[in-house]
Amino acid sequence: MAEEVKKKKKSFAETSFAWYFRELGEAVVRGDWAVKGSLLVMGTGFLARKQILKGILVTLVQLAYILCLIFYSLPYLSKFGTLGTVEYQDPKLNPLTFEVEQFPYDNSFLILIHGIVSIFIIVVFLLFYIHNLKQAYALQCAKEKGKPVNSFRQDLQQMLGNKFHLTLLSLPTIGVVLMNILPLLVLIAIAFTNYDKLHMPPGALFTWVGGQNFADLFGGSLSLTFGYAFGKVLVWTLLWAVMATFTCFIGGILLAMLINSPGVKFKKTWRTLFVIAIAVPQFVTLILVRNFFADQGIFNQICQDLGILDLCRKLGLVSPSASFIPFLTDKNWTKVMIILINIWVGIPYQMLIATGVLMNAPKDQMESARIDGASKWQIFRKITIPYILVVQGPALITDFVRNINNFNVIYLLTQDVYITQDPGMYKSNAKEVDLLVTWLFRLTQEEQNYKMASVIGIIVFIISVVFTFISYSRLMKGGREEDYQI
Amino acid sequence: MSEKEKRSAGGLKIAFEHSSKMGMSKKRRIGGTVKTILLLILAVIWLIPILWLLVTAFSAYPGMSRTRFFPENWTLDNFARLFFRPDSILQYVRWFWNTLVISIFTCIVSSIFVLMVSYAFSCMRFPGRQGMIRVSMILGMFPGALSMVAVYFIMKSIGLTNSHVGMVVVYSAGSGLGYLIVKGFMDTVPASLREAAKMEGANELTIFFKVMMPLCRPIIVYQVISAFLGPWSDFMFARLMLNSGLSKDWTVAIGLYNMLDKSLIGQNFSAFCAGGLVISIPIAILFVIMQKYYVEGVTSGSTKG
Repeated sequence: MAEEVKKKKKSFAETSFAWYFRELGEAVVRGDWAVKGSLLVMGTGFLARKQILKGILVTLVQLAYILCLIFYSLPYLSKFGTLGTVEYQDPKLNPLTFEVEQFPYDNSFLILIHGIVSIFIIVVFLLFYIHNLKQAYALQCAKEKGKPVNSFRQDLQQMLGNKFHLTLLSLPTIGVVLMNILPLLVLIAIAFTNYDKLHMPPGALFTWVGGQNFADLFGGSLSLTFGYAFGKVLVWTLLWAVMATFTCFIGGILLAMLINSPGVKFKKTWRTLFVIAIAVPQFVTLILVRNFFADQGIFNQICQDLGILDLCRKLGLVSPSASFIPFLTDKNWTKVMIILINIWVGIPYQMLIATGVLMNAPKDQMESARIDGASKWQIFRKITIPYILVVQGPALITDFVRNINNFNVIYLLTQDVYITQDPGMYKSNAKEVDLLVTWLFRLTQEEQNYKMASVIGIIVFIISVVFTFISYSRLMKGGREEDYQI
Repeated sequence: MSEKEKRSAGGLKIAFEHSSKMGMSKKRRIGGTVKTILLLILAVIWLIPILWLLVTAFSAYPGMSRTRFFPENWTLDNFARLFFRPDSILQYVRWFWNTLVISIFTCIVSSIFVLMVSYAFSCMRFPGRQGMIRVSMILGMFPGALSMVAVYFIMKSIGLTNSHVGMVVVYSAGSGLGYLIVKGFMDTVPASLREAAKMEGANELTIFFKVMMPLCRPIIVYQVISAFLGPWSDFMFARLMLNSGLSKDWTVAIGLYNMLDKSLIGQNFSAFCAGGLVISIPIAILFVIMQKYYVEGVTSGSTKG
């Protein structure tokens, strides 16, 4: 079944791909002089069919593109292969003119970014160019068949009518290209360069190094420090993501059921009480909590007064000479505390969601199970839990990926507080409690090690995407959600 | 809400109570008391930090007290300091204003973007729609946290770091990807309504404004509030983009974080709490309203379908 669907999809993709070029070939071969003229001057096809304004506009775009190519793209693209060769020199006093002169130099980073932008523009223009040809040919066909040709006003009206999606999607798409796609491309590109502290533009150049950074990380020169730290951070990141996702998920369901259970009054008030805790912004609560649990903080004093510190000493949880419990300064304590604090942050959210999900639980199924004599526990295990899993499955996956990249909780709780004792970690600027994201962030902020940060970024992305795809396809197999649709 | 409450309670009753009818009310009463006590303990745990924030904001002692949860002497001076006595670090009014401006513009741009994308994906059928949805899902999976470094460089190369315009661009440019909830809501609006409007000669623009917008009111309120709240609670991008070290550029999040620098915590902790409290109140109110509209929007969909 799945095989068949796959095959169908593939053949569809192939045909639509082939179709695209067949249409293009047809337009070039069968087009009349006006269509062929569009190969050179893009507006020709429109001008010939008396779509004057459109023809002029398209030609202007072409002109603008050519100017952009000559004055913007080419200077950068010509250096894109090397990312620049002329080193920066300090301004010098010219002995002849007695003026301070700055010699022209290459800025590798600008070359990289503008090079990528240029390539992007070229691709977009090519697509536009091909589309234009096809349009011109379509016009020719319409003319031959005697169909009326749209006036410019009609074209505009179409943009608010059946082509409204073009109007709607253009601006958001530009935004996404600028904020999501372009950074992604830049990130990938940097991972293949030697951009770091020693190669910082404008003072120095950096260049392409191929897969060197990846090789260094896995078994090369950096594997003793970076590889070591990477392994540790990766394991903790995954452990954290699993723990954080499941504790909050289960906790949220339990809390929702507790509030919803009969015998509990003022359900709405209870819910509001928990929501207040998450309504305060995280950077306030988390910084507050981190000071609450500080080594010299108020909670340590309470623990000391209540004898909890002594108890921990006896149990060997802290060293016998310790005068405080290192809640956020010892690696094991910190890991436990982070997960606990995250439960504090996450459960109210999950409680709200679970409340909504439980409201829509299949009541008739529960009722009939009850009549058949099923126990509370059986109903919960066989109906409620599977139902919640099906409804919440996709959200769980998103939560997991979000937790892999949970910057706020880790950074706000441990930055400036937690100091690593492990020289291997220290050398690669990592901490035991870092997630890959926070490590990446600090690598760029504190070490300017952009090449390794980008490598890590790519790896995290691959992990997130692969995980999401695997679990989505697992979840969607069999289409179980229909069992519960009312 | 109250009706839904009843409904849910009714539904859950089935799951929870089905034992013999004899002596049930007594059993339930005891169970109810135990549950209430448990809830009370949990609520206390959840509210202790908030309570600490609240009382410390009124503490006359500027630093963090190790021995007292409730302050020894109460004062309003921390608030006075925030609002009337700015210094080189603490410029709360300025931060508040910065954040307000950034979030208003972000809210406008990203709400419009989200509504536009949602309408296109939900109400229109065009070639490439499925492909775009799929691509947007993959892009949405790519966490902002990873690309932020590259975002920073791109903004730097066009000179928009340490600028509030740059912050608005960072927050709102990619917002079109966050269309899922609004689109989900629009999907529940019957297509027949749009068809009818079309029969009467309305074009898509008219349908967008005259048919869909009024119907989507709850989810629009949700969207507007959540877009407005984004910049208030963002820490990461602000930390990255506003790195000049000049207090007048900061947002509230960065300002409050920097206030508690190791060397400053002794003199600023109470003021930090006051600042946290002041910003939390409007945010908490908006957050609660947003939740209400979210529930309304999501649940009303099923009755309309």
